[in-house]
Amino acid sequence: MTRLRVAVTGMGVVSPLGDSAQAAFIAAAAGRSGVVLLDLPSAQRLIAPVAAAAPFDATAHFEPRQIRMLDRVSQFALVAAKQAVTDSGCLACDLPPAHAPERCGVFLGTGMGGTHTIDEGYQSLYGDGSDRVKPFTVLMGMYNAPAAWIGLTHGFLGPNFTYTTACSSSAVAIGEAWLRVASGGLDMAVAGGAEAPLSFGSLKAWEALRTLATVDAAQPSASCKPFSKNRSGMVLGEGAAMLVLEAWDAAVARGAFIHGEVLGCGLSNDAGHITRPSVPGQAAAMRNALQSAHLDPADIDAINAHGTGTAANDATETEAIKCVFGSRAHLMPISATKALHGHMLGATGALECVLSLMAMKHRVALPTMHLDSADPECDLDYVPQMVRRDLTIRTMLSNSFAFGGTNAVLVLRIGNGRVQ
Amino acid sequence: MLTTFERLRAILVRDYQLAEQSITMPANLESLGIDSLGVAELLFSIEDEYRITLPPEPVDLCTVGEVVDYIDSLIAGRKPTAGAPVKSSANTSTVTPPHGASLLPVPRMQ
Repeated sequence: MTRLRVAVTGMGVVSPLGDSAQAAFIAAAAGRSGVVLLDLPSAQRLIAPVAAAAPFDATAHFEPRQIRMLDRVSQFALVAAKQAVTDSGCLACDLPPAHAPERCGVFLGTGMGGTHTIDEGYQSLYGDGSDRVKPFTVLMGMYNAPAAWIGLTHGFLGPNFTYTTACSSSAVAIGEAWLRVASGGLDMAVAGGAEAPLSFGSLKAWEALRTLATVDAAQPSASCKPFSKNRSGMVLGEGAAMLVLEAWDAAVARGAFIHGEVLGCGLSNDAGHITRPSVPGQAAAMRNALQSAHLDPADIDAINAHGTGTAANDATETEAIKCVFGSRAHLMPISATKALHGHMLGATGALECVLSLMAMKHRVALPTMHLDSADPECDLDYVPQMVRRDLTIRTMLSNSFAFGGTNAVLVLRIGNGRVQ
Repeated sequence: MLTTFERLRAILVRDYQLAEQSITMPANLESLGIDSLGVAELLFSIEDEYRITLPPEPVDLCTVGEVVDYIDSLIAGRKPTAGAPVKSSANTSTVTPPHGASLLPVPRMQ
């Protein structure tokens, strides 16, 4: 079957590192952390009250009526999608739509959906002893609300899908969107992820799993330390990142700015343990990604690692990269940006995809911050502590692995701007 | 003491940013921009404002005046007379509500 090339023509970001792709990239390159001590009334009830919170003001984007209808996760998704669609120029107000609405789809990943709404409902019922919850609890809490609102807002009539595979949700969503556009099933897809997991109930649930980092007392913003010997776990983050994917020829024909290209996506399922990562599972996803893009390991210049900062993931991922790349594993810069934006769960793969495209464009490898203590089990080149400049990086993998075992790896190529 | 209408008008101004003069007894809720979901939300606020519990039976409320009458009847503890109760679809004698009518408190599920 002939496969079409797929261009990334729009990017939108709401994140702890800033509210645009550009802002998030600048912060990531500067090693500026979005992890903060939480300023919640209930923060003193958390063992480790740190997270990467997005400095987001809903009233700057929505009317009060809309805010009452939208969980924070849908607010993030809508703002990021609007940025991406605007950036792409597909729906520029002074031009006819670039594609028929029936040929435009939405593919969104979220791991936890409307946690704030669900939390508030439980607070009403069990905390306050009320017999009522708010009338829109179902509509705000349902997992497909963010994707549905994007479709409604922009009038996209094509397939509208929500993927929930925990921490790989948005990488899966982008991969599935890529397949649809590459196969000719759609002309355009808005794809990415959104997550708003910083409700008290959600924070407590993650705390109970004993997978979160302890607070770095000297520097709370450095609590997430991927690949470092002294890493103690992940730090939750919130936000959204959305991309516009378009059939390459159509994007070129309309003179769109091309941020990059999705070359492929590899999926695998561990089928081993509900949380423990698997070297064969992660390696299979990377191999499948290379195969889907018709590339060899030698074609990959750099990797955006899943790099959560947990003991298990970082050692497993290191081993899996060695399995796939052999001696080349030591020659590639490997970046773990979660040290800065935290683990945004169902949104994280999409943000890392955006950061990878930006890094290639600006010829840098992003730093893995807070990696200050070498771990013999993690002995690859993780670009510790400082951005590396003037590199030629044309093709990257972006790894996303997940509780439940669904692994997703995207293959990304540098964009060449406006192609005439 | 504020009347039922004045209190309802205050809710509508607060929650839907409506101009006070647009809210009259005959005003149609849909034309004020309050669709069936909006009425579901409005009824929640009404329960809070008037400290009443709405009966579970769906009710057909199309105008501001019908909402006022409905509230007054509940406060008075008598069976609501405003708004035509929505009858079961199994009942062939049911009068179909006018287009755009709000079938609430419980929104119709798909």
